[in-house]
Amino acid sequence: MGRLVPYSIAVGGVIAITLAIAIVTSLANVAGLSAFYLLLVLWIAARWGRGPALAGSIAAFLLYDFFFVPPVGTFAVRGPSELFELMVLLAVALVTSQLAASIRRARAASETLASDSRVLYELATAALRTPQVTAALSMVSERALTLASVSRFALVAVDSGKEATVLVGSDLTAEEVRQAAWAHENGRSVGIAISGGEVKLMKTHPGAATAAYLPLAGGVAVMRIESNRPELGELRMLGALIGLADLLLDRRRAALESERARGFEASDKLKAAILSSLSHELKSPIASLRAGLTALLAPQAGLQPEQQELLVDLDRQATRLDRLVGDMLALSRLEAGLELDREPHGFAELVGTALYQLRSDLKGHEVAVKLADDLPPVEVDELQVGRVLTNLVENALEWAPASGALAIGAVARDSVLEAWVENDGPAIAPVDLDRIFETFWTRRARGSGLGLAICKRVVEAHGGTIRAENMRRGPRFTFTLPLVRVTARP
Amino acid sequence: MSGRVLVVDDEVEMQRALRAGLGYHDFDVRAVGNGVDAIREAATWRPDVILLDLGLPGALDGFGVLEALRPATRAAVIVVSVMPGEKDKVRALDLGADDYLVKPFGTEELVARIRAVLRRQVDVSAGEPVVRAGDLEIDLARRSVTVGGRTVKLTPTEYELLRYLALHAGKPVTHSTLLRQVWGEYAVGDKYNTRYVVAQIRKKLGDDPANPRYIVNEPGVGYRLES
Repeated sequence: MGRLVPYSIAVGGVIAITLAIAIVTSLANVAGLSAFYLLLVLWIAARWGRGPALAGSIAAFLLYDFFFVPPVGTFAVRGPSELFELMVLLAVALVTSQLAASIRRARAASETLASDSRVLYELATAALRTPQVTAALSMVSERALTLASVSRFALVAVDSGKEATVLVGSDLTAEEVRQAAWAHENGRSVGIAISGGEVKLMKTHPGAATAAYLPLAGGVAVMRIESNRPELGELRMLGALIGLADLLLDRRRAALESERARGFEASDKLKAAILSSLSHELKSPIASLRAGLTALLAPQAGLQPEQQELLVDLDRQATRLDRLVGDMLALSRLEAGLELDREPHGFAELVGTALYQLRSDLKGHEVAVKLADDLPPVEVDELQVGRVLTNLVENALEWAPASGALAIGAVARDSVLEAWVENDGPAIAPVDLDRIFETFWTRRARGSGLGLAICKRVVEAHGGTIRAENMRRGPRFTFTLPLVRVTARP
Repeated sequence: MSGRVLVVDDEVEMQRALRAGLGYHDFDVRAVGNGVDAIREAATWRPDVILLDLGLPGALDGFGVLEALRPATRAAVIVVSVMPGEKDKVRALDLGADDYLVKPFGTEELVARIRAVLRRQVDVSAGEPVVRAGDLEIDLARRSVTVGGRTVKLTPTEYELLRYLALHAGKPVTHSTLLRQVWGEYAVGDKYNTRYVVAQIRKKLGDDPANPRYIVNEPGVGYRLES
């Protein structure tokens, strides 16, 4: 319907009433017929609002003045009472049209609100029931695009890895996706803001030409708002839709996170299972080999001395192979990042356990252990740190001269224990001091090259450091371990 | 004959090697390859020692065999495994195993372990009231502890823990067993309690934790009194 139609109807109605009044007054002298104009104005105001009602009032005023107020046939007014009658007509027309128009607006607004709430309720129910969050988000986006002022509505998810994924709105350019990721990372909205559930255009709103960005919990809403002064109802609706999108994106993120956690757990279990079956496969043949070779060493087996010597050599090789396999598996276990079992331990006991395990190798060597009585306990994985100590002592034994001396010591520094193992063997070449901890690097022709690499991994897994240096007596390996935090135990 | 040994291992090569090796050391050896045969053989042949591999094929694994054996047999059980986790060792010991041995091992070491568990069986059945470890003497009848003739005063908790280790001298005792035996069935505590009490006992015995003579730490498992 054209905008001029209500005005035409208003003016036409006034002319019709004027004709009717003229006919009635020509037949009989009836007073107060001008009230009919008021009825018409009231009806027009209720139907089309203030503009047409005002036009009707003015038309009624002029026509009544011209045709019925003496002197008839002119717009002139004779006396104050006639002027007063005209003014009342105009004033009543204006006030009633104003009132009717505002009632009409309020009713229209409440109708919109009711229909908005219904739409939102239906949308939210449907969206939250949809198992695929992307499908639910498309529903939200489609609804947003029905708003007259919104010409684009896209949703970009940004996950913890800062990777942006366009969920809705395939027409985004790469630059826009980058901008969305930036907005999310910095928590900064561009062009629009949300307050009290309502979208507000900021002074910097770029207008329809470029997109506005609003960061949400699990992503970013990217939209284009056409008009610079969009309707209040639309902004409210848009705010509610963005709230729903926010909820859905957050749900998506939570689902992804729990899925990822399950994935990690499963892969940890898988790694542990593979390593355990690998150890079984590699070690079982060595076990049979050693059992068989050493069985023949018994005097009752009746072998010649040189045959026995051969068996001892072979058994030593089998033991070396076993050690190599063990080191490789230990290293893969460390690289697989399986968890440490940390507990408070006395460092002296850890040293004692390592020395006890190596007691047959240590025969003929002097081991000086210098530990203060009041050394605070360390919070470590007993077995892993035991491996560090046995590896370092074995390494020291290898380089110490026959019946050479070994020294083990430790001091507490701030929140760490600094421990060392040294021997009086030959110095390590300065260029090798760092390389010595690399995997498969070895000074020995026969070593596995894994012992010190394992030490480094274990110490670093505990948040410590390890280094090699040449002291006056010989090489020293120093490493740090975390002390038990005082608050950890009552 | 030094005694009867039942080998439970699914690898034929391992069975053959152990039959030969233990046979040379005068043991009477039988070998089976699965849990069901192991339980039958334990009941009918009545071995003194069972060498039980934890990784048996089939529905009945080493732990299952251990559970089935324990109330029925007085044989000492040495659990054998390739790279056992510490949890497996603890579980086997708590199910009644007497010792564990990590594969691969040499015949000499195996023979030493078998002799040790056999000796312990004899000691326990003889009811010897005094347990010795080096110059440490624990007189169970008089509740007295001496080191090189010097009397050591222990608190009741410390004595209980040492007594339990002494009753099982040479055998690894798990932290959980010590907690249950010393603090009672419903003890609330963790390994830190046993570690703390052992540290106190060592201090009183003059045992250096960095060079222990009497109480040896079994990493990840518990403690053992040298015998």
